[in-house]
Amino acid sequence: MTQPNLTGPIVGNPPIIGNPIVIGIDAGGTMTDTILVDQDGHFKIGKSATTPKNEAEGFLASAEDAADAWGISLESLFSGVNVVLYSGTGMLNTLLSRTGRRLGLITTKGLEDMILMGRGLQAWADYSYADRLHAVTHHHPDPLVPRRRTHGVTERIDQFGDIVLPLYEHEVSAAAKKLIADKVEAICIMTIFSHVNPVHEKRIAEICREEVEKAGADIIVYTSHEVRPVIREQSRLNSVLIEAYATSRGRKQLKGIEDVSKKYGFKYGVQTLLSFGGLTSINHPRLHETMISGPIGGILGAAYVGKLIGNDSLICSDMGGTSFDMGVITRGQTRIENEPLMDRFKLNVPTLHLDTIGAGAGMILKVDPLTKKVSLGPESAGSDPGPICFDRGGTEPTIADCDAILGRLNPHYFLGGKVVLQVEKARRAFQEKCSDILGVGVEEAAEGMIDMLESDANNALRRVISGQGIHPSEFTLLSYGGSGPLHLAGCSRGIGFKDIITFQFAAAFSAFGCTTADFMRRHSVSTQHDIPSRADEATLAAFGAKVTTVWNDLTKAAVDEMIDDGHTREKIRTVPFLMMRYTGQLEDVEVMAPLAEINSADDMRRVIDEFEAVYAKVNHRVSRYGEAGFTITELGLIATADKVKPVLLKRPLGASNPASAHKGVREAYIGGRWHKANLYEMDLLQPGHEVIGPAIIEHPATTLVVHPQDRVHVDEWTLLHYTHA
Amino acid sequence: MLDKPASALRLRERLLDSERLMEETGCYDGITELTLRNQDPLKFETLHTKLRAYCVSAREMARRISASPGVREVGEMVVAIYTPEGDAIALSNGIMVHVHTMSRFIKWMIKNGYEDNPRIREGDIFANNDAFIGTVQVPDVMDVVPIFHEGTLVGWAGAVCHELEAGGITPGGDVCLAQERFTEGLFVCAEKIGENDEIRRDYVIRCERNLRMPIYWVLDEKAKVASCIDMRESVKQLISEIGLDYWMKVSKEFIEEGRRAQLARTRQLTVPGIYRGHTFYGHVTAGKPGFQLLGDPDWLYNIPIEMEITTDGKITMDFEGTQPWGYHSMNCTPAGMDGGMFVTLTQHMNFEGLVNDGAWMATELKLPHGTWTNPDNEMVATATSWALLLPAYGVFQRLLSRSFVARGFVEEAFVGQVNSPMIEMGGESQYGTPFGMAHFECAAAGSGALAIKDGLDTAYVGWNPESDMGNIEVWEQSMPMVYIGRSIVPNSGGAGKYRGGCSFVSTWLINKTSHLRLHTSEHSSRVFDNGGMCGGYPAPTCQKHRAVRNSNIHELAAKGEPLAHAPGIDPHVSDYERNIGGDHVVVEGPYITSPHKSGDIFSHSYNGGGGYGDVLERDPIKTAWDVENGFLTREAADQVFGIVLKDDEDGYPIADIDATVERRAAMRKERLAKAIPVADWIAKERGRVEKADFAPEVKKMYASAIKLSSRFTREFSEFWNVDARSIFMPGAKP
Repeated sequence: MTQPNLTGPIVGNPPIIGNPIVIGIDAGGTMTDTILVDQDGHFKIGKSATTPKNEAEGFLASAEDAADAWGISLESLFSGVNVVLYSGTGMLNTLLSRTGRRLGLITTKGLEDMILMGRGLQAWADYSYADRLHAVTHHHPDPLVPRRRTHGVTERIDQFGDIVLPLYEHEVSAAAKKLIADKVEAICIMTIFSHVNPVHEKRIAEICREEVEKAGADIIVYTSHEVRPVIREQSRLNSVLIEAYATSRGRKQLKGIEDVSKKYGFKYGVQTLLSFGGLTSINHPRLHETMISGPIGGILGAAYVGKLIGNDSLICSDMGGTSFDMGVITRGQTRIENEPLMDRFKLNVPTLHLDTIGAGAGMILKVDPLTKKVSLGPESAGSDPGPICFDRGGTEPTIADCDAILGRLNPHYFLGGKVVLQVEKARRAFQEKCSDILGVGVEEAAEGMIDMLESDANNALRRVISGQGIHPSEFTLLSYGGSGPLHLAGCSRGIGFKDIITFQFAAAFSAFGCTTADFMRRHSVSTQHDIPSRADEATLAAFGAKVTTVWNDLTKAAVDEMIDDGHTREKIRTVPFLMMRYTGQLEDVEVMAPLAEINSADDMRRVIDEFEAVYAKVNHRVSRYGEAGFTITELGLIATADKVKPVLLKRPLGASNPASAHKGVREAYIGGRWHKANLYEMDLLQPGHEVIGPAIIEHPATTLVVHPQDRVHVDEWTLLHYTHA
Repeated sequence: MLDKPASALRLRERLLDSERLMEETGCYDGITELTLRNQDPLKFETLHTKLRAYCVSAREMARRISASPGVREVGEMVVAIYTPEGDAIALSNGIMVHVHTMSRFIKWMIKNGYEDNPRIREGDIFANNDAFIGTVQVPDVMDVVPIFHEGTLVGWAGAVCHELEAGGITPGGDVCLAQERFTEGLFVCAEKIGENDEIRRDYVIRCERNLRMPIYWVLDEKAKVASCIDMRESVKQLISEIGLDYWMKVSKEFIEEGRRAQLARTRQLTVPGIYRGHTFYGHVTAGKPGFQLLGDPDWLYNIPIEMEITTDGKITMDFEGTQPWGYHSMNCTPAGMDGGMFVTLTQHMNFEGLVNDGAWMATELKLPHGTWTNPDNEMVATATSWALLLPAYGVFQRLLSRSFVARGFVEEAFVGQVNSPMIEMGGESQYGTPFGMAHFECAAAGSGALAIKDGLDTAYVGWNPESDMGNIEVWEQSMPMVYIGRSIVPNSGGAGKYRGGCSFVSTWLINKTSHLRLHTSEHSSRVFDNGGMCGGYPAPTCQKHRAVRNSNIHELAAKGEPLAHAPGIDPHVSDYERNIGGDHVVVEGPYITSPHKSGDIFSHSYNGGGGYGDVLERDPIKTAWDVENGFLTREAADQVFGIVLKDDEDGYPIADIDATVERRAAMRKERLAKAIPVADWIAKERGRVEKADFAPEVKKMYASAIKLSSRFTREFSEFWNVDARSIFMPGAKP
């Protein structure tokens, strides 16, 4: 199903000259968004429904939609581009629907039940506050490998890497044979402390491969120390299982996308996005690292826009139907989350940190007749059946219904008019189920609900900022996602941001973000350097020397890999980092090294000072405890190489009167009363234009509500800046 | 309604005033009308959500700072925001039990003249772990900081962590060897430990010099203070937005609204009336080293509970008839009893909406003076009060559940919480340094069954609904022993149509130490402490500790011989005894013994929950899955549930439905054949009662209850138609 082209000229009106050089595609749960970018920074958006069974179909339909908008054929599109970037949901769907590979597991004897016991926290970890307390709702996720195909082998290695119990090889052979007879498609191996000393895992894998070969079977063997050499066995186990379980179909999907791209003339390999924000080829050996990549695109896009506008402290916020995702870039740095959850499994995949709350236009509203308590969500009406006003069978009022009731959404211009909103129907249901119970008027209640949603988001933003130890006035807020601009005013009010920006292409911002990513490698090794609190000059210098040696080795490894990928040395940039804590703590702080090498005790002190500064910023200075000493648990290096990126076009500012974009007037309820709000077509706004509220700026894929006396001005990049009165 | 400016009264008077208003009006602080809520219900709701978000994120920050796997790995922490008088307005997730214990701590300081000395000023930090002031046990150390707005005290921020080492007579925190207060560990009794947002150096030195593993306590202290400051600053910011008067009013309305919501919830979910239940707890220490002979070494406690639900929704729990306090570590203070009540309510009725102290105010506890629930001697030890608290509040859960079922809310019924004793250890670490730690993997026991499905396996404890056992690789960094087993214990959930959740057992090989002290807190011995419901069986009890000293495990391993990784399913011979040579030890009750060394093996199991409904109604197909996956044994399927299993072609169990139907029909007949009329049974048992024909511990249990409670004596006498006093206390004056 191809949907109509949802874009006008994205960056104003200049004639399109070049051909696209980058295709960025973000396949979400419902829609696949495409963005095409040319050398001079023009871009176009395409949209199509996601096709989970064969993602290549949705990919192609979406690409075709964008190509149509550009006015070129698929052949000229694909034969002309240098980069095809695809971030999909196939692997996640495989996991959610439990349709992955038939797995077997070999683990340390005595711990086979880990599959059934899980981490206790997996029984409640992604629940709402209420359900976390309400214990009868807790339950374990279904394991990815059944207990009957889990075999223990006698062995034990301790935290120092010393062998406590030797590996019983005869038990390994027997387990491998049994798994082969059980017709598994992959064997996973996870033993305790294999990330410190992998000797047993390696030997188990060797024996398994021998047995597989003897049996003439086609079974892949995965070891946890290769997939994820990081402490915490449950997370390492989940990582290796998910890699084995879900990525093969995902790999096929990606291969299918590469195949259709090549069919239409694409000359290179398709790239996908890592959860920590870099690009990698679809042949990446640890493909589960790309499973949480969707929302990551937004953070990358934000970083990119930040550079353009000259602010490196940004909060990006993505509001869709169900969730409000917030990412932070503090003085150019993004935060890495080391233990994210995926489908209720705890993983230890480094992921760009996102804070998420349940807040979106699809959230279902409830008023308890007994206590009159109002609750937003956590359920969402999703796209099926959707809000009541969509008239596709939804019966529970949602925030989108409130937006429609209050005239903020144009009933005849939703998705460019494809969906006609049934406002009266929404109004009747809302009155019956919400406002009458509360005993207030329909408009008042509907605005109250929206205020609650926006206030939740507003508060979440404040919390995110307060965790950074920086005043809000240093931050610029970037708002995107289909519902972002619609609720921007309330979400951002009173926080005191330096600037608030949204985009004509807000609805496809994540896809845009993907196209701004660079090629990246992140290499690291676990270490255990305990630096005493009263270390003398010589000791500090010696620690520094050790660190420098590791960094040099990591640099060489990362640079060599990238050179092999065809990047030239002079284009590769490297930044070393450390994971540090006070000795005895259990959580690290990621510290970007203030120097490329540590050559003296003073250099080492600078690194420690940097750690203490970052730590105090995140955890408050009262919690510093230098008396305990310092531990470096991981040394790492990030290597990047540039890729062609979209260039936002800068144009001179014109007149401030936006009359050329004016399309009429509509009644909209804002701030407790109805207003005659001016309507503008978003794509027709030009650099220099200024819109004063009450106004509604419409786009087929999004709507920006400008509250009375608030202002929106369009800058020379055609970014929309929102200013509160 | 408090309409006066916030600063008009001193705190102490304000607190007394508030209590008087509650007494007079029945409403919190005399708030008979929720004016602000009625004015703008959405603003009201939004503000509370905001406060809760402050708490949740402050707790997350603290968890990043902690060095303790208890806090970082399994979340043994909670934070909350209080009114100036110390009533909780909003709280985080975590160990909810402490929200109200902190409230008691704040009120205690106010009532004891802290305004004058040591004074309460901006930037001050107060700490407490004295259960008679307001906590449950010594390792639960709480910190609070006052919140000032332009010189006026407008609230408090508080945080509690459960410490893994408290410096008691044995290492760890749940010190079962403590028989009086003086051996429980380092006490901080409502002490000002910091000023100007800095923890005093001399306080830190005291901690560093009196604890076996000071980094846990000290970094947790810093984590708590950081989180309190974080909440304080957020509240101050909020007040500057909404104004002081609004804050002072709305914070109290939140609590009154919480109280009303709890009453409404009770009216909605339950049937008013009087409910009774009880549980028992057995303690066995005779001959164990270290216990002083201050009382009976082996004893039995009866915990009868009467719950009354009134038509307006108030819940009262009465512990009349339970045992006196004793020279053991399991006494509890009213603060601890409050905490148990609060955490249970938040899990069943008060989990949404304005979760705060209001719920607690809609309830009442009757704790007879002199019993373990309310000792009349403040020298008693409370180091392991959870051992009695958990079974007691398990009874509360079953009483509530009966009421939920009666009202038709079958899916809310929950057989509930179980005791989950922890291991404590200390001595020489694998790094060659002194250490001490409580192992908190116990925070993931099996839950009781539900009325619609089996209990949760290895993922529930009553004191913290966010239960977890943590990663092996993290625990092993803190102790000189390595796991050679962590597995589900078959049959550990009580049997029933829906079985209780199963527990797990860990087996360790001691490694890289010549001196490891291992102690455990309490499993109930010889009697069940966790009941079942509606015909379901109680959870198994009397779990034994097993150890192998001087084992030959390394010799066996060198030869590739089979080892043992769990006790196994043979009740007569464990797998350790079957496979491993050495000195085998089996201990009932707390494990208190001489130090272990490298090469020894130790195992410890946690508890499963009680069952729900008749075993003969259990689903045979689910049972086959249970047997295959080690939750039940074939023997239990056959003998307890009457389920006949056969093997599929791969040797995995599948249910034989026809044979099961037949077997169950036979079992029902057997039941009928064995049954006797109740009147006959009572007559027979009355004969035993008249002669006091009971085990010595049972006799003492009745005697002590009769001595303390005339009501118990009267009801016992009436039921059995005997003179209880003359039977159990012959020669005593009436």
